[in-house]
Amino acid sequence: MSRLDHWFEGMSRQSARRVSRRSWLSRFGGVLVGGAALPLLPVARAAEKHQVGEDGVKGREGDPRRCEYWRHCAIDGFLCSCCGGSHTACPPGTEMSPVTWIGTCRNPADGIDYIISYNDCCGKTFCGRCMCNRNEGERPLYHWYRNNDINWCGGAKTQTYSCSTAVVVKAAKEAQPEK
Amino acid sequence: MKALLITIGLLLLALPTRADSYEEHDYILNCSGCHRMDGRGSRTVPSLLAMRELLGKPGVRAYWAQVPGVAQAPLTDARLAALLNWLVKRFTGQSPNPPYTKEEAKRLRRTPLRDPVVRRSKIRDAILR
Repeated sequence: MSRLDHWFEGMSRQSARRVSRRSWLSRFGGVLVGGAALPLLPVARAAEKHQVGEDGVKGREGDPRRCEYWRHCAIDGFLCSCCGGSHTACPPGTEMSPVTWIGTCRNPADGIDYIISYNDCCGKTFCGRCMCNRNEGERPLYHWYRNNDINWCGGAKTQTYSCSTAVVVKAAKEAQPEK
Repeated sequence: MKALLITIGLLLLALPTRADSYEEHDYILNCSGCHRMDGRGSRTVPSLLAMRELLGKPGVRAYWAQVPGVAQAPLTDARLAALLNWLVKRFTGQSPNPPYTKEEAKRLRRTPLRDPVVRRSKIRDAILR
């Protein structure tokens, strides 16, 4: 037992003589700052561009928190990805409306038109961040199922609109308008 | 050689029907927003699963083509007829007999229902009686 004590004593005295106390601090600080700076590197940003949604569809315009994101081509509302949710999931405390309006958008990553379902999230007061109003392929109110000025929260438990998602349903047979 | 030719012939026959089958696409874009992907509807939207009980009942065939969501869908008569046949098969398990044709779809959608809700209750009452 005393041999172990001696060994430890020797080791700690040796390191106390050789290594300054600040050396550990500086290394630990380096790790902290370096780790935080990693996403700023071009490698990390390039990976983000090929972001895949929870529904498995990639997009080149990779940031779902931006209005320019390809799936938002026909959206009208606040982006749920800015409101505590994502482009395919509602923020906590809200419910996804079962009824929705549906459009098509072209994914620049593969050149394919996809059917997008713009389910509204309902139940909390409107989010107010990242308003996005692109409306490509939207129809007038008399084609209500292709219109986005309706409060689609009508089918949910509460009719308070909070924000909108953009879920890929599947590849479209053709872009709108139909032949 | 003969078998090969028959195979090629069958493939050629199959091509146009596959390329022209827009039914599911048309359903998703024009119906599923309210009736939902599985046709269950919601608190405010009728379920398409109920079509099973209505199939073959008097007035139903015309009603299905005349109800505003169908009659006013931005689709050609041919695609609307194809969609109706697909819908009936999907939600009742049986194809409509005879199938809807584009002429029938054209005729029916040109005759609007003045009051869809009244027509609906008339059909329901006739079945329940």
